[in-house]
Amino acid sequence: MIEIDDLHKRYGDKIALDGVSFSVKPGEMFGFVGANGAGKTTTMRILMGVLFADSGQVRRDGRALAFEDRRRFGYMPEERGLYQKMKVAEQVHYFGQLNGLSPKGAAKATGDLLERLALTERAGDEVGALSLGNQQRVQLAVALVHDPEVLVLDEPFSGLDPIAVDALAEVLAERRAAGVPVLFSSHQLDLVERLCDSVGIISAGRMVASDTVEALRAREGRRLLKVVVRGATPDWTTGLSGNITKNGDEVLFADANGSDQEILRAATAAGTVEHFGWERPTLTEIFREAVA
Amino acid sequence: MNGLWLVARREITTRGRTKGFVVGLVLSAVLVGALAVLPRLFSGPDSFTVGVVGSPALQSALAEAGAGRQGEDGTEVTVEPFTDEAAARKAVLDGDVDAAVVGDRRTLADGEVDRELGALLESAHQAAQTQKQLSEAGLDPAKVSAAMRVAPLEQVSVGADTRYEDVRTGIAFLLVMVLFFLLLQPSMYVAMGVVEEKGSRIVEILLTSIRPWQLLGGKILGLGVLALANLVVIIVAGLGAAVATGFSADLPPGMAGIVLSALFWFLLGYAFFATMAAALSSLVSRQEEVSSVISPLTLLIMATYFVSYFAAVEPGSGVARILSLIPPFSTMVMPVRTAGGGVPFWEIGLAAALMAVATAAMLALGARVYERAVLRTGARVKLSEVVR
Repeated sequence: MIEIDDLHKRYGDKIALDGVSFSVKPGEMFGFVGANGAGKTTTMRILMGVLFADSGQVRRDGRALAFEDRRRFGYMPEERGLYQKMKVAEQVHYFGQLNGLSPKGAAKATGDLLERLALTERAGDEVGALSLGNQQRVQLAVALVHDPEVLVLDEPFSGLDPIAVDALAEVLAERRAAGVPVLFSSHQLDLVERLCDSVGIISAGRMVASDTVEALRAREGRRLLKVVVRGATPDWTTGLSGNITKNGDEVLFADANGSDQEILRAATAAGTVEHFGWERPTLTEIFREAVA
Repeated sequence: MNGLWLVARREITTRGRTKGFVVGLVLSAVLVGALAVLPRLFSGPDSFTVGVVGSPALQSALAEAGAGRQGEDGTEVTVEPFTDEAAARKAVLDGDVDAAVVGDRRTLADGEVDRELGALLESAHQAAQTQKQLSEAGLDPAKVSAAMRVAPLEQVSVGADTRYEDVRTGIAFLLVMVLFFLLLQPSMYVAMGVVEEKGSRIVEILLTSIRPWQLLGGKILGLGVLALANLVVIIVAGLGAAVATGFSADLPPGMAGIVLSALFWFLLGYAFFATMAAALSSLVSRQEEVSSVISPLTLLIMATYFVSYFAAVEPGSGVARILSLIPPFSTMVMPVRTAGGGVPFWEIGLAAALMAVATAAMLALGARVYERAVLRTGARVKLSEVVR
């Protein structure tokens, strides 16, 4: 388990992290979301040891992380870093060796990964000659080549086309199934919602939420009541409390906690109730709420 | 250690394959080879073929004269006998012989006779005629020839040994040029490589896999191997051209020492300047900023170049002696003085010790700056912030 415990970081007068804590379990995919400048990248760089926290600690299975631990991590930094003039396969192979693979082992891993990421045909091309999306795949290959025990990916999906997104999602899901803790940041909340087991929301250097996706949705769940009544006159809601939004037969009641049974009775009296239930908020809604 | 070697190997294979490096390598070798041959081309031929019609006395005198002068500057004379003047004349016009002597009376040449050859022919002619006339006057030919065998004057310099002065100066100038080029260029490569990795954030991935000293050391080592290979190629090209053209006979004694000294000082100087380049360039994140941030380094190398240029002109002067002891000037001034000859061993030892200390200090300081600055992307890092 990766534990991030009470990280504080300050750049001059600006407070970047103000007590960030969360954890990622083995086999868990953790989506790290937050507005630009909220502290995602700073947290991940501290986790990877390329930046030092003013205070706080990063642990793995209860032990403070050391250089040798991080060597077995796979890391994709926020700003993509590859040697533009180096060939794709050579580059992936090089990073494999730097992370301790034998020349043979690195060659095999490189071949397999390029195959998985549909880059085999570009293996002999210089990285700089590739499209940005393909460079991103190479970046991912560099992060994965040594079969890392932990994955830390900063915005891995940004700039990818839908097919590449699916390929990457598949690769990550595979690692998760192998018991690897996967931590990635993203602005694509629908994607995070679809892929992740847990979500951490950071705002202005503080964690405002960190839980499983299900728990988060359930916690925020009893806010919005959706009722669809066929054959009712439009004014059937008159006299009911709550913040009401109408869209044809569909009516949304915000802040209807406590008056739900009253609404149900009114709906039954007004016509045929086709739908009556609490709306599960999307992650986007939870996020907006959380960082507001 | 493995990480260091992997980084070095990457530098060697990627930089060594670039057009810039290959062109630089070939060009420098050709240039130095040409410079080694050039003086020979201007000094004229060192072997002559002379046609002789009749006069066996002259023939033997010529052969002797050629042999006598050989030790001095390697002039060789080949004698080719002709039966009559017409045949000799034709051979001169065809360029088969450089000149022809007919019947002890006339010298035939296509245009003017080469000055050196003319003097040689004249002295041989004098000797042959004197011997002949003395013999005709009734003297014993054996005694005459014994009397005429005069030992040449031995040249003794009561001042400094200046016999090889020109060649030594030439070698010194070549060294100044080559060392300047080979200290500046790879240092620039180091600087550009550091910024490439920092600016693109590759360094973030690299430094989660290997230690900063492995990355920095591997880069300096790899590019150093390439520069050393370039230096060796230049030396081989220069000496090879000298041997091929026969110029090597004019090289001063102790060439091996001069070559070894150049290699030794290059290694020390490279370690010093390349580390400085890496430390300075780790302060910035963009290639456009490299030249301004490493300007202290370029100025220092330029200054070293100018003082060693001066030392090449005046290798024995007091100023040159002092400069050859001061790091990092010693890296170029000392090999230049060594080429000039006559440097006491204690001075070389002192200069080497001082430079080794300076290089060690630069390595320690440079590694510290690099390690602290290379992950701080964005605005230029102030040196004062990372040195403390």
